[in-house]
Amino acid sequence: MNRLYPKGVYLLLLLLMSQMLVAQTTITGTILTDEQVPLEGVTIQVKGHAVQTLTNNRGGFSITVPALPVLLLVSHTGYLKEEFTITTLTPASYRLIRNEKNLDEVVITGYSTQNKKLIAGSIQTINSQTFRDVPASGFNQLLQGKATGVQVNANSGVPGGGITFRIRGNNSINASVDPLYIIDGVFISNTDPIQTGLGQQQGSNPIADINPSDIENITILKDANATAIYGSLGANGVVIVTTKRGRLNSRAKVSLNGYHGWSRATKKFRVASGAETALLTNESRINTVKDNPALPPPTLIAEPESQPTYDRVSDLFRTARTSNYEMSVQGGTDKSAYYAGLGYLKQEGIVRPSNFERYSGRLNYDNYLNRQIKIGTSINISRTWRNVSSNDNNPQGVINSAIFVRSYLPVFNTDGTYARYGSFDNHLALINYLGNDAVGWRTIGNIYGEYAILPELKLRTSWSLDNASEYENNFISSLLAAGVASNGSAASYETKNLVLTNEQVLTFIKSFGEDGKHSINALVGNTINTVLSQSTSATGTGFASNDLTAVSVASVRSGSSAQSRSKLLSVFSKASYTYNNRYTLDASFRADGSSKFGANNRWGFFPSGGFTWRADQEGFIQSLNLFNELRFRASVGLSGNQNGIGPYAAQGLWQSGNNYLDQPGIAPSQLANPDLTWETTRQTDFGTEFSILNSRLFVAVDYYNKYTYDLLLNVPVPNRTGFATYLQNYGAVSNKGFELAIRSTNVKTRTFKWTTEFNISQNTNRIEKLASDIALGASGRNISILRQGYAVNSFQLYKQLYVDPQTGNAVYEDLTKEGNITAADRQIVGNALPRYTGGFTNTFSYKGFDLNVFFYFQQGNKIMNMNDFFLVHGNTQANIGFVPRQLERWQKPGDITDIPRVTTSSLTPEANNSAANNYGGNVANLSSRYLEDGSFIRLRTLSLSYTLPASIISKLKFNNIRAYIQGTNLITITKYGGPDPEVSSQSGNQNTAGYDWATVPQPKTIQVGVNLVF
Amino acid sequence: MKRFTYIYLAFLMLTTGCKKFLHVQPQQQVDASVAITDAVSAEAAVNGLYNRLGSDGYYGSNFISLSYLMGGDIQWTGSQSAPAQIAARALTADNSNVASAWTAIYRTILSANYIIDIVPGLTDPLLTDAKRNQYQGEAYFIRALAYFDLARAWGGVQLITRPTYSKSDQEGIRRSSVAETYAQVLGDLDKAEALLPVTVNRNKATQKTVWALKARFYLYQRDWAKAESYASKIIDDAANYKLLKPYSAFFANNVTATAESVFELGYSTSFKNGHYNWWLPPALGGRREWAPNGNLVTLLNDPAIGGNRNALIAQTAPPGNLWYGKLYYRNPTGTDPAYLIRVAELYLIRSEARVQQSKLTEALQDLNAVRERAGLSPATATTTGDVLLDIENERRLEFAFEGDRWFNLVRTGSVKNVLNITDPNKFVFPIPVSEIIADKYLDPNLGY
Repeated sequence: MNRLYPKGVYLLLLLLMSQMLVAQTTITGTILTDEQVPLEGVTIQVKGHAVQTLTNNRGGFSITVPALPVLLLVSHTGYLKEEFTITTLTPASYRLIRNEKNLDEVVITGYSTQNKKLIAGSIQTINSQTFRDVPASGFNQLLQGKATGVQVNANSGVPGGGITFRIRGNNSINASVDPLYIIDGVFISNTDPIQTGLGQQQGSNPIADINPSDIENITILKDANATAIYGSLGANGVVIVTTKRGRLNSRAKVSLNGYHGWSRATKKFRVASGAETALLTNESRINTVKDNPALPPPTLIAEPESQPTYDRVSDLFRTARTSNYEMSVQGGTDKSAYYAGLGYLKQEGIVRPSNFERYSGRLNYDNYLNRQIKIGTSINISRTWRNVSSNDNNPQGVINSAIFVRSYLPVFNTDGTYARYGSFDNHLALINYLGNDAVGWRTIGNIYGEYAILPELKLRTSWSLDNASEYENNFISSLLAAGVASNGSAASYETKNLVLTNEQVLTFIKSFGEDGKHSINALVGNTINTVLSQSTSATGTGFASNDLTAVSVASVRSGSSAQSRSKLLSVFSKASYTYNNRYTLDASFRADGSSKFGANNRWGFFPSGGFTWRADQEGFIQSLNLFNELRFRASVGLSGNQNGIGPYAAQGLWQSGNNYLDQPGIAPSQLANPDLTWETTRQTDFGTEFSILNSRLFVAVDYYNKYTYDLLLNVPVPNRTGFATYLQNYGAVSNKGFELAIRSTNVKTRTFKWTTEFNISQNTNRIEKLASDIALGASGRNISILRQGYAVNSFQLYKQLYVDPQTGNAVYEDLTKEGNITAADRQIVGNALPRYTGGFTNTFSYKGFDLNVFFYFQQGNKIMNMNDFFLVHGNTQANIGFVPRQLERWQKPGDITDIPRVTTSSLTPEANNSAANNYGGNVANLSSRYLEDGSFIRLRTLSLSYTLPASIISKLKFNNIRAYIQGTNLITITKYGGPDPEVSSQSGNQNTAGYDWATVPQPKTIQVGVNLVF
Repeated sequence: MKRFTYIYLAFLMLTTGCKKFLHVQPQQQVDASVAITDAVSAEAAVNGLYNRLGSDGYYGSNFISLSYLMGGDIQWTGSQSAPAQIAARALTADNSNVASAWTAIYRTILSANYIIDIVPGLTDPLLTDAKRNQYQGEAYFIRALAYFDLARAWGGVQLITRPTYSKSDQEGIRRSSVAETYAQVLGDLDKAEALLPVTVNRNKATQKTVWALKARFYLYQRDWAKAESYASKIIDDAANYKLLKPYSAFFANNVTATAESVFELGYSTSFKNGHYNWWLPPALGGRREWAPNGNLVTLLNDPAIGGNRNALIAQTAPPGNLWYGKLYYRNPTGTDPAYLIRVAELYLIRSEARVQQSKLTEALQDLNAVRERAGLSPATATTTGDVLLDIENERRLEFAFEGDRWFNLVRTGSVKNVLNITDPNKFVFPIPVSEIIADKYLDPNLGY
């Protein structure tokens, strides 16, 4: 019936019209939402005529029609299509109703908004609802397991610490592999501003400066069709964040949000007891003399069983508290809309003494000056405070000092002072006196203006800034090992990263032809971008007392500063044509000029194209009566990368500061490469999406193939030239993968709903072309290697085949078959990249209760357990204790184990099955026995919330009241033997992933919280 | 659309002048084309050259550590494999410390080559002839020293005498023989001698510094007469160069550039010597990963052998009681000099040269001058062989932490019986494997 009625009206109108004279009449009106909010950009068509228009920013339209009455077809993405019969010329307002089924129908793509069903690119939008309340400081960390093709890992359990974030694999070797982050149109600096030396870890997550609660949604652009519009910035994918904004004509809504959490380690470090340590030491000393009878008889620790144990590990850990309070207001009048939010987060580290604190404020404001001009702003200001401490190779790090020292050694000297052993500091001294304070101020702001020249043609100009500054003040008191000799030392660093961007975009959107069969969405624009980095540092040593901590009162002081600038100039254009709502053809083009490159090759050109077919619109598909939705996508394109290389990378340079006798000196530092140019990624993507069973099951599948060539590679050059490396375009890396996402509504009744979401992503990374092996990592031990034909982040070690049950000596694979063990026998034995990552979410709601169970998993990555590397040493390290794994050593003939006999023998290190190679010798403990499977599945969040019934809420004059309890990382299933498998201690360099080295493990958190809206 | 883009682009070029916009110059570096243009920048380049010579990879610590770790008297207490290999004298071609010394030396040569190439053509009137000659002379001297070090450590090497302006420069150069490499050293020393002034400067090269290096050079060449005569040129200049008493007087109590020094590199807060960090124990802010082994401690502490040279070592507090070297001790200022040539070496050079010329009495006089300063009684040896052995042992303690031992044992051939190394291939370090890969014209050293 429903369909017949308009058809009837239409016929009637046609009949009437054929009788009338052709005349011209103008109809005016306004399109509003249910909530009386004017809708902008709504398409108005006249049935049977090739005229159409769009509403302006007040929802108004005017359209010329031949005669009355007419049938207006009103459509807008996200709303149900409506038809209105117009019989009079009196202006009227018409309402559109939101299409609740397809709230996410509109997605933000580069520089435009498009109907999701018509997009050819691989784009995924994550609504902030799916990650609310999770106690992580940065929104990038919250995307873990939520989107396909995105690998997210926290590098440590330090609050506000570094995050590994990769979209479809590592594209590069020397240049950056981080995505481009855009928040409300502002290009964000993702440079870690922490200067304090913290080992090889990434000191902070710059994205943690943004309060995740201010976010409305996050869109991830993955394939070339989506990213090519960002040209040279887009090769690693783009993360577009849209923050919350007010709506016109809406009542002020105040939202209060707070939670408290308590965290502990998922698993703590374990070390051998004093008695076990003494026993192992004696055993090794006896064995060593057996191996080499020429040595004097062993000196043994007397009464090893009665050696005391000093528990240092427990001192490290605490039950860390997290508190979070937020308040926001949003609303709008008929001309303006606003959102204002304030937030405070304090997070303690589970390992003392690290802390993170953030104050954040946001103001988003939009104002319609008149029917054609709209201006607005988005401003984020935040202040962060971190108490940082170092990990991995720093013997004066807190964790090192606790786990490396032999457990039978007392923590305090007899006189009560802190005891230190070897090069390790006292862990309690560090916990009590380590003073590394980092205060960051971040301003991200944008001012824009929009001018609707015609309803279809709009010009937008945007001026934005991201100003990140960090002020660090460190004091190492004379009570710490690092401050003893210098009588206290202090450092003060001031760092500033400034990104200035100006953009103009001219957008044209129009449908024409009968029923708007043809529609065009096109834009052209330009960008002017400047990145400025500045830093100043001052250091001082020699302090009169430990209470005087400023550099200015040090007896010896020195300072330094650095500054660099780079600029980018771009023009871009994009056009999308849709025929009959079925076929969409996309094309985009961008030209980028960068100051970083050689004068010969400064400009790069990045085209892309894509095609979508909405098969569900075809009669033959509809007649199958199977698909509610069916869509095929294909795209290909180029994007570029220039991040991560120095701002003056193409120039031949002489470095200053090569002083002698306090006189200024200069020396050559870089060989010129006037041909240096863009690193280019070519990507093809094929995808399909369908929903069946009355839209209850939705499936999306993608296959992609990325090939990055002309890598910006530091190619080794012969040292006889006086240079070690030369930055040139050489080499290639490929990433290929599948992505699968499934959404299912399992049960849906009036009171009960159960939905399941599952996603899994697979990526295969391979270095296709490389000048020569690049080995690095683990402080000169070169455990990580980049080699042609293998994935990045590969590990090279001596492969232990077994421990000889007769001799107890380790036997390694003799790769060269020359009968002995030499450096050439090191081989690639795995890599740190997961083969699969994914998430599995089940949501149950019953009346006011919501239960959410979210698992994250990754499979196939290896972790180099450096704690075992150092602490399973067979007593070759006199100053270092043991971990319990050492107790599994071979002891007598017939023992089957992978931990060889303990000894410090150094005889015949070249021989395989020689005692020397058990822990030292040529192998130098670089054995695959410390490389472990890092796969895991973890109950990332489990939350139960209760929303008060609407009847009670309205009585209390509230909009919404919700309380919840949530657990994070409650269960972790893994074979990994270290404290936690989600770890990357050497994350400061993208090519040294997958190390676990004296790093804070992930916290397990329980929290309770409440949301109030009124 | 493409055409529109180009029009738009052209429009932008006109309005913003994008060529200029994209032209960004650094502030802490200078473009190579304008690096050395006048008297001031020439002087800065020479300072940079000394800085390279004293960098961490070269005389700052790494290069000399190769010699003293190989020499058998210094132990490695750390956990890294590269220095452990060196201390065990089981070098492989991928040893990173060997590679970084190689790199540092060629970087030094590059700076010298630039100065030698550019300074003669500068037209700045403020650049006097004296200065012009001095800068070139210093560059020739340092290049000579660099090739001397390459020759004694790796054998014959590729002789690079022109600066590298582009990546393809220096292509196709193969290794020269040891003799050719030493000939290059002598050629550079002769040029330096002609260009440098006859002044005393213990931190920079002068004609006297050239003489001292020539004495060492001729000793290595077994040209005893010339070694003796060049050593005498310094020893005879008693007003400027003398053995200070006691032994510690040349380094203790923060003294620098004493009369003992013929050539030492000076360090300051803007150019630190990180060497102390490896020697000093943690209680004094270092890592003590290089430490004198038991033999050396016993010898230094023996009053009849070490004499007052026991000032070179000290012991940590109980219960550790670990011995550590304290020639480099200025923590945290890092202003310990790097001692390249001391007058004591010239006495021992001349002593050896005289023994070899059968002038035993004079030889013993020189040897005893060094012994006497160390608070020891005169040597009692009477035969050529015994005196040579005494000289060798004297050098061992006199330059315990100065990187002489290994090169000296290799030079005299004593390395066979002292360190039990009989394979002559192992008398030189391996050419770094990374270099062999990067340079198809470079042949490896046999045996690695």
